[in-house]
Amino acid sequence: METLLGIKGPDFVMLAADTTHARSIVVMKDDQNKIHKVSNNLLISTIGESGDTEQFTEFISKNIALYKMRNGYDLSPHAAAHFTRKNLAEYLRSRTPYQVFMFVAGYDPNDGPELTFIDYLASAKSVNYAGHGYGAIFASSIYDRYWHPKITQDEAYDVLKKCVVEIQKRLVINLPNFNVSVVDKDGVKNLDPITAKSLAAEPAA
Amino acid sequence: MALAEICKISNAPYMRRTAWDLSDVEEDLKAHTSNLANPYTLAAPPFENPMHNLNLIQANADKTGIKIDFDHGTTTLGFKYKGGVILAVDSRATGGQYIGSQTMKKIVEINQFLLGTLAGGAADCVYWDRVLSKECRLHELRNKERISVAAASKIMANIAHEYKGMGLSMGMMLAGYDKRGPGLYYVDSEGSRTPGNLFSVGSGSLFAYGVLDSGYHWDLEDDVAQELGRRAIYHATFRDAYSGGIIRVYHMTPTGWIKISETDCMELHYKYEEQKAQAAAAAQ
Amino acid sequence: MSSRYDRAVTIFSPDGHLLQVEYAQEAVRKGSTAVGVRGSNCVVLGVEKKSVAKLQEDRTVRKICMLDHHVVMAFAGLTADARILINRAQVECQSHRLNVEDPVTLEYITRYIAQLKQKYTQSNGRRPFGISCLIGGFDADGSPHLFQTEPSGIFYEYKANATGRSAKTVREFFEKSYSANEVSTQNGTVKLAIRALLEVAQSGQNNLEVAIMENDKPLKMLDSKDIAEYVKIIEKEKEEELEKKKQKK
Repeated sequence: METLLGIKGPDFVMLAADTTHARSIVVMKDDQNKIHKVSNNLLISTIGESGDTEQFTEFISKNIALYKMRNGYDLSPHAAAHFTRKNLAEYLRSRTPYQVFMFVAGYDPNDGPELTFIDYLASAKSVNYAGHGYGAIFASSIYDRYWHPKITQDEAYDVLKKCVVEIQKRLVINLPNFNVSVVDKDGVKNLDPITAKSLAAEPAA
Repeated sequence: MALAEICKISNAPYMRRTAWDLSDVEEDLKAHTSNLANPYTLAAPPFENPMHNLNLIQANADKTGIKIDFDHGTTTLGFKYKGGVILAVDSRATGGQYIGSQTMKKIVEINQFLLGTLAGGAADCVYWDRVLSKECRLHELRNKERISVAAASKIMANIAHEYKGMGLSMGMMLAGYDKRGPGLYYVDSEGSRTPGNLFSVGSGSLFAYGVLDSGYHWDLEDDVAQELGRRAIYHATFRDAYSGGIIRVYHMTPTGWIKISETDCMELHYKYEEQKAQAAAAAQ
Repeated sequence: MSSRYDRAVTIFSPDGHLLQVEYAQEAVRKGSTAVGVRGSNCVVLGVEKKSVAKLQEDRTVRKICMLDHHVVMAFAGLTADARILINRAQVECQSHRLNVEDPVTLEYITRYIAQLKQKYTQSNGRRPFGISCLIGGFDADGSPHLFQTEPSGIFYEYKANATGRSAKTVREFFEKSYSANEVSTQNGTVKLAIRALLEVAQSGQNNLEVAIMENDKPLKMLDSKDIAEYVKIIEKEKEEELEKKKQKK
C-alpha cells in the first residue's frame, strides 16, 4: 500500500515517502512522516506492518544516537545500514520478527553518499536507486530511463516527481502526498513535498 | 485398583484421576492470575506459540466453527481545534447481535489532564487503561510532573506491541493537555501510535468521519466544536447498528477535562428531526 | 575493631556506619579535584587531570563526559568505576528518549545515577562505586542545573560545588566568592570555576580540563590556550586587588 523511493547521486541521497496512514479501508492520517532524521548525516525511511515500523525505527535510531554519545563520533552510513540489517536479521529468527521495509541513506565525508535498500527478510543492498511498495514497481522503469551517474539534486527531484505522477496515474491506491528529504555534505534537508496539489499547479509537461 | 497395578495399566491415561488435586488448582490459578500481582503478565491464549496459532484458529473458523469473536461495535471520535480537544463517544456495548449495554462508559478518565477512549474489546481497553492510569500516577509521583500525552501513549503502544498478535483488540485515542499544549494520539492493538488532529475509531467511524470532515476546521468556537462531535456520533448511531445509547461529549481544556453532555441518541434524533422540519417550514 | 564490619558492604558497624561506603568516599577524596558552577545561562565543569605521563596520549585521559546532548558529567574518584556508570547513564538517557519522547531532566538522570549507586551499597557481592559525580546541563525548559551525587547514593543540587581532593577548600572558596552577579555572564562563570581549580591545583594551569555547556549548543571544551588566557586575567585581577589593598593601608 505504502511507497518509498530513493535516489543516490554523486554527492547526495534523496528519499521520498508517501504520507498516508491507512487502517483497513480508512485513511486515518494524510500527513504521516515516514522519513526519520537519525543524525546530522543519516536518514531512515520505513514502511511495513504498522506498529513495527515505529518501534523498529526508533529502536535503531536511539541506538545510533547512543553510539555517538559513547564514542563522540557518528556511525558511518555504511555501518548504520549494516547495524540495521543485522538487528532485523536477528529479529527475523526470533518469535517476534519485525515486518519492515526500509532505506538507510547517509552521507559520509570520506566515503560519500550511501543508499542501502533493506527488506523485511533483512537482505541489504547498496543501490543507486530503488523503491519499496507497490508504487516502486512503476518507479523502477522511470529510474532506469532517467537516472545517470552525474545526476544533480534538481534532476533527482524531477525524477521523483515523474515517479509520483506515474503512481498517482496508474496505481489504484490513492497516495496524494509525498515527503522528500535529502542528505548531502551539509546535512539533512527537507525539500518541498510533492503533492497532488503542487503537481496540479505546475504547467503540464 | 490392585488389579490394575498388577496388570501395569495404572499409568495409562484413562486410568489417571480426572479431578484436579489442590496443587494443580493452585498452579493453574497462579498461571492465570499472575497479572493481579504484575499487570504485565497477562496470560496469553492457552496454547503453544499463540501468535502463530491464534491466526490459524481465526483463519479456519469457518471450517471448525471455533472462533474467538472479538466484538467491536463502537463509534468514538476525537479532534483537536483551537480551544483544546473534543472527545465524543457512544455507549452501546454489543456481543454479536446482542446489545449487552446501552450505558457503557467509553471514555476513561485517566486523570484530570488525560482521557482515553475505548473501542474494540471492552475488557482489553478497560484493563490496559487501568494499568495506564497506574503508570501515569507513578510517573507523576516520581517526577513531580504530570506525564505528557506523548509518554502516556507510548506506554500504551509499547504494551500493545508487546502483545501484538496475541488476540488483544483495541483502538483507542488518548487526549490530554500538557506542557506542549493539547495532545491527541491514536493507539491500537497492532502497536501503531500516531499523533493527529482528527481521528475516529470503531465500526461507526466511517459515518462519523463523513460528518466530522465536512464540518471541521481549526478555528471552531467551543460550542460549535462540541456540537460537531455530538452530531458526528449521532449520525453514526443512526447508521451503525452497533453504535447507540448515550452520546457523551468531553472537552479537554488547558485546565483539565470537562464533561460537556450525556444525551440519549434518541432524544437527539427527535431534536434534530424537529430542527429539520422547522428549517423546512421556514424555507417555504 | 572495624575489621569485622568492613568486609561486606551490607553490614553496619556497631556505631551505625557502613564502612565500605565510607572507604569509597575516601577514594573520592583521593581523586583529583572536580568543580562545577551553574551560571545563569551556562554550566561550567572543570577538573584537574592527574599529571599526564610524558609519553602518554593526552586525549585518553578524560574526566568530563557527555551523557546526552544536554547533559555533561565530571567526576572524581576511580576512573574505571566511572566508565561503567557513564555507560549505564548514557543508555538510560537514550532509553528515556525512546520511552517518554522527551530528553531526561537533570534531576531525573541524577536520581538514576544515585539510585544505581545506592543499589551497590545494599546488595551482596558488590562494592560501592568509588566516584562522586558533578552533573550539569539544561532541562527542556532551558533552565541550567548542577547536581552532585556521592558513593552512598545521595544527591543534591548546587549553585557551585566541588568534589575530590581538597574539595573542602574549594567549597569554602565558593562560599566566600560566589556572587549571583559574577555568574550572570559566561565569562564570569568560567573565571570562577578556573579560579576555584587554581586554588588547589597541584600542577598549576597546565593540567586543567574545562567544559562549558550552553542551552541547545554542543559542549565546548576549552583548550590550553583559552585556559591560559583566563589564568592571565585572573592573575591580573588578583594583582590589582592586592594593589588596592596596599593603597588602602
